[in-house]
Amino acid sequence: MIRFQGLNKWFGNALHVLKDIDLDVAKGEVVVVCGPSGSGKSTLIRCVNGLEPFQKGSLTVDGVDLGAKGVALRDLRMEVGFVFQQFNLYPHKTALENVTLAPIHVRGLSKTEAVERGEALLAKVGLADRMNNYPSQLSGGQQQRVAIARSLCMQPKIMLFDEPTSALDPEMITEVLDVMVSLAKEGMTMMVVTHEMGFARKVAHRVVFMDQGAIVESGEPASFFGNPTHDRTRDFLSKVLHH
Amino acid sequence: MFWFQVERLLNYWPLLLKGLGMTVSLSLISLLIGGVIGLLFGIIRAGRIRWLSFVVGLYIDLFRGTPFLVQVFICFFILPSVGIELSAFSAGVLALSNLSACFIGEIVASGIKAVPRGQSEAALSSGFRHWQQLRLIILPQALRIVRPSLVGQFILLVKDSSVISAIGIMDLTRSGWMIVQNIPNGLLIFGVVGVGYFIICYPMIFLARRMERRNQSSLL
Ligand SMILES: Nc1ncnc2c1ncn2[C@@H]1O[C@H](COP(=O)(O)OP(=O)(O)OP(=O)(O)O)[C@@H](O)[C@H]1O
Ligand SMILES: [Mg+2]
Repeated sequence: MIRFQGLNKWFGNALHVLKDIDLDVAKGEVVVVCGPSGSGKSTLIRCVNGLEPFQKGSLTVDGVDLGAKGVALRDLRMEVGFVFQQFNLYPHKTALENVTLAPIHVRGLSKTEAVERGEALLAKVGLADRMNNYPSQLSGGQQQRVAIARSLCMQPKIMLFDEPTSALDPEMITEVLDVMVSLAKEGMTMMVVTHEMGFARKVAHRVVFMDQGAIVESGEPASFFGNPTHDRTRDFLSKVLHH
Repeated sequence: MFWFQVERLLNYWPLLLKGLGMTVSLSLISLLIGGVIGLLFGIIRAGRIRWLSFVVGLYIDLFRGTPFLVQVFICFFILPSVGIELSAFSAGVLALSNLSACFIGEIVASGIKAVPRGQSEAALSSGFRHWQQLRLIILPQALRIVRPSLVGQFILLVKDSSVISAIGIMDLTRSGWMIVQNIPNGLLIFGVVGVGYFIICYPMIFLARRMERRNQSSLL
């Protein structure tokens, strides 16, 4: 579904942010990406929906070669949901409008269809009674659940999450993770940048550890957490697991 | 003496009202035209087409950096010499619309740039086309941010419109000039004229202040 082959990316000339990335994500697979700040995790998943261009190597998403000239990014983005750390909800639209805007204007759904779909999704993420609230009237956890529903309303094939719980107060993290867990269990293909190792243990098929722009180690959660082979991984894990 | 002048001024009431009407209609028409063009300027200024943004920027700076009276004279006296004949009213509307388009353009551009980047990234990620993104997501937020400045711009427009009396348009200022030739009390006459402008502007000053407050509280 997603295939990185020898992908390299620079910011400007000097900053080499992604180094020879090789990574395959199969359909229905859940891959958790972790690593220290600045290691390139966000940049990695932002490449997947074309938010960041890359300079070398190849990246294929849902059969679309992102390195090709004149690639139809818009068509690809309809199939790839993206959930941001800072939610990025549209502040001038209600929760329901946030969720139905793209289905109506991008997918071309009728308003009734979109509203039906949107209401069902908002109910699914536990916000049936909050549909007509504006983002400023919602808590962080509620906003992030609206953002997830917004992406799902496009019925994407892939969902990308960039630290979806890092901006949340601790008591709201679970409500968002629960939504993501159920999504994973339904067989969604997911790439999730997170330091929530509990989530990784529970639903990830694979955990990828990045440092300084390169993938240092990756493996199934059991072996990744059980006996990490690299010092840097061990170092990192001891930091995130002990707090 | 003073009360006698006040009494005589009452005879000129219709002239003053007509002048007020002219000032309001000049300003409103110019606001509408200038608003539409200004919106376009703003979108271009904040847009990705570098050379176009540069050209529009240069144009805007040109008019922001020259006296309005000179611009009015150019419209009224110089354009005819290249074959563009304009009535005083059209010349006035042209100059005033153009100037407000320039100011509104800068204001709109600053509003667009003030919308957080995450908004266009979210829109992009959902597959919106560029113009849909602008229309549905960026512009509504940008305009809300700059609403107080836009009202402030309209206040300036109303006041700047008095410059146009120089080419003979019978606006509020010019009707003052007419009256003062018969009633030699400039303080009284232009006091009344000033009050006329203030009556148009004050509600807007009030409105701008309220919007400002609302913006501040909604940004929390
Ligand atoms: N737009 C940009 N222009 C220049 N450099 C950038 C840009 N975005 C990110 N970087 C740099 O690229 C590197 C990788 O950034 P990235 O955001 O991918 O890291 P990250 O692993 O997501 O970190 P964090 O955990 O802090 O979110 C960092 O050194 C960062 O400063
Ligand atoms: Mg990041």
